[in-house]
Amino acid sequence: MSAFWSRAQRHVGFLIGATLVLLVALMALVSLFWTPHPYDDLRMALKLKPPDGTWLLGTDHRGRDVLSRIMVGAQTSITVGLIAVSIGMALGVGLGAWAAARRGWLDEVVSRLNDLVFAFPAVLMAILITSVFGASATNAILAIGIFNIPVFARVTRGAALMMWGRDFVRAASALGLGPLTITVRHVLPNIASVLLVQATIQFATAILAEAGLSYLGLGAQPPVPSWGRMLYDAQTYLYDAPGLAIYPGLAIALTVLGLNMMGDGLRDLLDPRLRLMRVG
Amino acid sequence: MLDFLLRRLAAALLTLALASIVVFLVLEVLPGDPALVMLGTEARPDTLAALHAKLGLDRPLLERYVSWVGGLLSFDLGNSYAYGTPVSKLILDRVVVTLPLGALALSFSACVAIPLGVFAASRRGRMSDWLVMGFGQVGISIPNFWFGILLALFLAVTLKLFPAGGFPGWGTDPLGSLHALILPALSLSLPEIAILSRVTRSSMLDTLREDYVRTARAKGVAERDVLMRHALRNALIPIVTIAGLIAGFLLAGAIIVETVFYLPGVGKLVFDSISNRDLIVIKNVVILLTALVLLVNLLVDMVYVILDPRPKVSV
Repeated sequence: MSAFWSRAQRHVGFLIGATLVLLVALMALVSLFWTPHPYDDLRMALKLKPPDGTWLLGTDHRGRDVLSRIMVGAQTSITVGLIAVSIGMALGVGLGAWAAARRGWLDEVVSRLNDLVFAFPAVLMAILITSVFGASATNAILAIGIFNIPVFARVTRGAALMMWGRDFVRAASALGLGPLTITVRHVLPNIASVLLVQATIQFATAILAEAGLSYLGLGAQPPVPSWGRMLYDAQTYLYDAPGLAIYPGLAIALTVLGLNMMGDGLRDLLDPRLRLMRVG
Repeated sequence: MLDFLLRRLAAALLTLALASIVVFLVLEVLPGDPALVMLGTEARPDTLAALHAKLGLDRPLLERYVSWVGGLLSFDLGNSYAYGTPVSKLILDRVVVTLPLGALALSFSACVAIPLGVFAASRRGRMSDWLVMGFGQVGISIPNFWFGILLALFLAVTLKLFPAGGFPGWGTDPLGSLHALILPALSLSLPEIAILSRVTRSSMLDTLREDYVRTARAKGVAERDVLMRHALRNALIPIVTIAGLIAGFLLAGAIIVETVFYLPGVGKLVFDSISNRDLIVIKNVVILLTALVLLVNLLVDMVYVILDPRPKVSV
């Protein structure tokens, strides 16, 4: 572990990425108990104010403080991303590991599922779900989470198959250990780094997807602030308050950039030979 | 070779069949009563009963599925609940916006990304390579709809070079219509340029290590010709594969970007159908988009066969 940290300190990309991610996480954490102004106070008299000493990033079309809303919006993005990736990991890793251990028809089913997801982009899946069950943060999480299942299944299967070919796994098998025990004791611990890297990158993808869905009004519903919806609202006021269309987008881009750089950095640091498919 | 293509065709049809089952289950079975979803919970019982009969919800599940798929095959998609017009007409009217938009975005992506990737690979490890890679990292992190808003802000609102939104129609103003598609296509292509230039770079780096490249250099072939004739041609296979995948993401991205630029395309139709709870439209658009993505990937497989005389069957 100490070797990891000493290498990490020299990896510029990882450091920049990790710093960005920490800053966003800190912003979300602070916003839980403090924001410069209450994020949902309507002050119509103060609408579309340019940034100044009191309103550091100005106010929106309803006189709400933009900085406070961006801070609280970080909570939304992080929550949606975390839960969606956890759903994808919990089911996908299990499915992938099972497919690798059993092969045969199950393996075939997992591969077909992957094909389906490639042909069936996440936004379409989310649209299907929200058009039936209504627009809400929960349904956005579900939609993004479901899309993540095959991604993790694919990565886990690939990495686990390699492990099943290794001597120490064969030895365990020869000793009479069952596929479940081998998977839990030998396969999963050895592919944990691959999964960690993929999780970081999927987190970034999930935040982008959440932003897109809430831009379309299919994500978190008012009064909960979300970066994507802030951009949608800002579009009506491009002439009067162009800043409104810049800050929330910058927040999304920097968060995603941080996660991507951190993910790439982790990949270099944990296993230089590793290459991952990026699935949007 | 034919065998390879037939296998890919079979896999694509299987995927399409699976997708149709998923769409049918999600839209017609999971909600319990699709008519209730469409009308809202305060619907009057007689209106609900009328819609039931109209949608054929009183028939058995399997029969409904078969009649939907049969309709798809003859492009008889039923009538939109919100517009009252045939769904096929609604889609056809909007495809003329979305397909050119996607094609334009794909050509932008290829025209920028491939030269950029080749350039970066030829300057591996130098400042310019580093810059291209950095651009790639930033490009995949920017949401395409935000990039669209920024383009609208700077090139349309401030500099007034392009319209900020809307679509005059090919019949009335062909040039103006093309003009209206440029900013949306640019914003759709940004993340794809980022991905494609990275793939091009790494694929080029792989081929540049090959013996025939060294031979070509040793024979004194000019570096430019080495890059273009010897390396790029062989590096194209993974590039084309990724470009095919990108086509799918472009179509999905169009749903958001068409909303940003108020374009009357298929994406906008989906968006409006969600607010109208027009499940019939959503069901058909989603399955047709899936079919389109699969078709593009089949075409990619064919290009793949042309580029490489020895295709691997297990992909």
